[in-house]
Amino acid sequence: MKRQVPLVLCFLFGVVMCFTQFSPHSFSQSIYDEVVYWALIMSPFALAVGTITLVQTHVIRIRRRTEHWQYSFVVFAGLLTMVVIGLPFGPQHPAFAWLFNNVQVPLDATMFSLLAFLIASAAFRAFRARTFEASLLLISAMIVLIGNVPVGDLIWNTVLSWLPWDNGASEARQWILGNPNLSARRGIILGVSLGVISQAIRLILGIERSYIGGGD
Amino acid sequence: MLKTIQWIVVTLVLCISVSTVFSQGLTPPLNVTAVDTANDDGSSITIKWDAAAEDSGISGYQILRRIADGELETIGDLLPVGTTTYVDSAIEGGTAYTYVVRAVSATEATADSEQTAPVEGSGEWFHTEKTPLFIAMLLFSAAIVWNIYNARSGKEVFVRRIPGLEAVDEAIGRATEMGRSILYVLGLGGVSGVATVASMTILAQVARRTADYETPLRVPCNDPIVMNVVREMVKTAYLEEGHPDAYNEENIFFLTEDQFAYAAGVDGIMVREKPATVFLQGSFAAESLILAETGNSIGAIQIAGTDSEHQLPFFIAACDYTLIGEELYAASAYLSKEPMLLGSLRGQDWGKVLIFGAIALGVILELSGITWITTLLQRVN
Repeated sequence: MKRQVPLVLCFLFGVVMCFTQFSPHSFSQSIYDEVVYWALIMSPFALAVGTITLVQTHVIRIRRRTEHWQYSFVVFAGLLTMVVIGLPFGPQHPAFAWLFNNVQVPLDATMFSLLAFLIASAAFRAFRARTFEASLLLISAMIVLIGNVPVGDLIWNTVLSWLPWDNGASEARQWILGNPNLSARRGIILGVSLGVISQAIRLILGIERSYIGGGD
Repeated sequence: MLKTIQWIVVTLVLCISVSTVFSQGLTPPLNVTAVDTANDDGSSITIKWDAAAEDSGISGYQILRRIADGELETIGDLLPVGTTTYVDSAIEGGTAYTYVVRAVSATEATADSEQTAPVEGSGEWFHTEKTPLFIAMLLFSAAIVWNIYNARSGKEVFVRRIPGLEAVDEAIGRATEMGRSILYVLGLGGVSGVATVASMTILAQVARRTADYETPLRVPCNDPIVMNVVREMVKTAYLEEGHPDAYNEENIFFLTEDQFAYAAGVDGIMVREKPATVFLQGSFAAESLILAETGNSIGAIQIAGTDSEHQLPFFIAACDYTLIGEELYAASAYLSKEPMLLGSLRGQDWGKVLIFGAIALGVILELSGITWITTLLQRVN
């Protein structure tokens, strides 16, 4: 029973939601909207579960004195500060907004900006011309890199001025992105789409049931 | 005195003549029709009329609407002269509307069309323009279902070797030998994300092996609901493998919902605990390279997989093995070797053959000057 009910519900909702995509009638659209609203109801419960788990995890860390356990106090300080200001005064309160704009946003931006350095280190490894494929990758990457900056066309038009094409660097970049790159991407997208449909059918028919905790 | 009266009369006659000539030149909109908009939920009516000639003197159109026997009311703004269609989206179901299209000149002279027949908005049960898509979906679904049930007969299904999935056992064995943990990252997707569900099914297979080897499996979650589902799945896997004592609920925990805070948290776990194996499976965005590069820096064997095609190059550059796109969805079948799941993979391949055939046919037809297949696909789009 514990397994059958979720499987039946999954089948029913899967089939109904699939057909709402093909039916513009207000009745089917109202079913779609209603189900989406139901899904939203779960959000507050998820928030409560998340907060409880977060507190549990960090209490255990402090109790066991695991490595860098002191940072768990920073988690609690941040959590309490935002709750104490946010709950009574709302997210529009200047103190809440100040904390968000001057603590969370810069921290997010810091993590995001790390990408610049990580891309450089990953590219260094990926573009080492050890094989034929890696050499192709390196050459393509160099063309795209040069074609992306305005000085690329300037170099092309100055150094290769005897060639009949102007702005060849940006043209070559555009060709690489628009032809081999786009073809490969579309191939992947087609495969992913078929995979998604296949996965959805397996879930709807109850063949794939590991998400309810087990394969039987 | 008589001369003055004569002048006034002549001027008046001239004015009337000029205005008559101009007003006669403003032709009312012709062939005005109002019909229920096709393939909608019944909340709009489409009004169409013929385009006016270039020298008609019309500078715009105004739409007027009448409900039952009520007064004509103006709806919407003045439409530019080239317009020939207007969709009235402010209607109520079960009410009949009639329309008049009024041509307006630069001198604000007007000419009204004939009133249209009364029309009501009604919703359609099936979107006819989506018929090709619906047929394709049915065909593809039938191919998968046929292969799934065919696989039950015990016929062996060939699946090509996927290096990333072949390496799963090796990666788990490595962590066991080194006495270190395995870190499984599910990405940013919620429980309704198909990539996340696919990732969870892979996790269930990984959990069976870690249960056998009693290797710690750490799963930091980005979504509390995903965390609860994952806890249940991993617990069941440990139970079914006969190692319920090895299951530790604390190893599956909620970190944060914020994208970069999650990346920072997972990076922290990697640097502190130095897991021997890192799985990055699911839906990823800009944090993908932050995670993969950190995993690379600690020397972990990394197996990544995502359907986010923008993140694939980062994983390929930074990870040891990468499941590209559809391989993520094939992983569950590949690892479990369950015939019915493998059958669905064959159905998926039939779909690919179908699409490849359509592409090849489309190219040949386009080159031959036959464009109906392109038109059909554009309609679906």
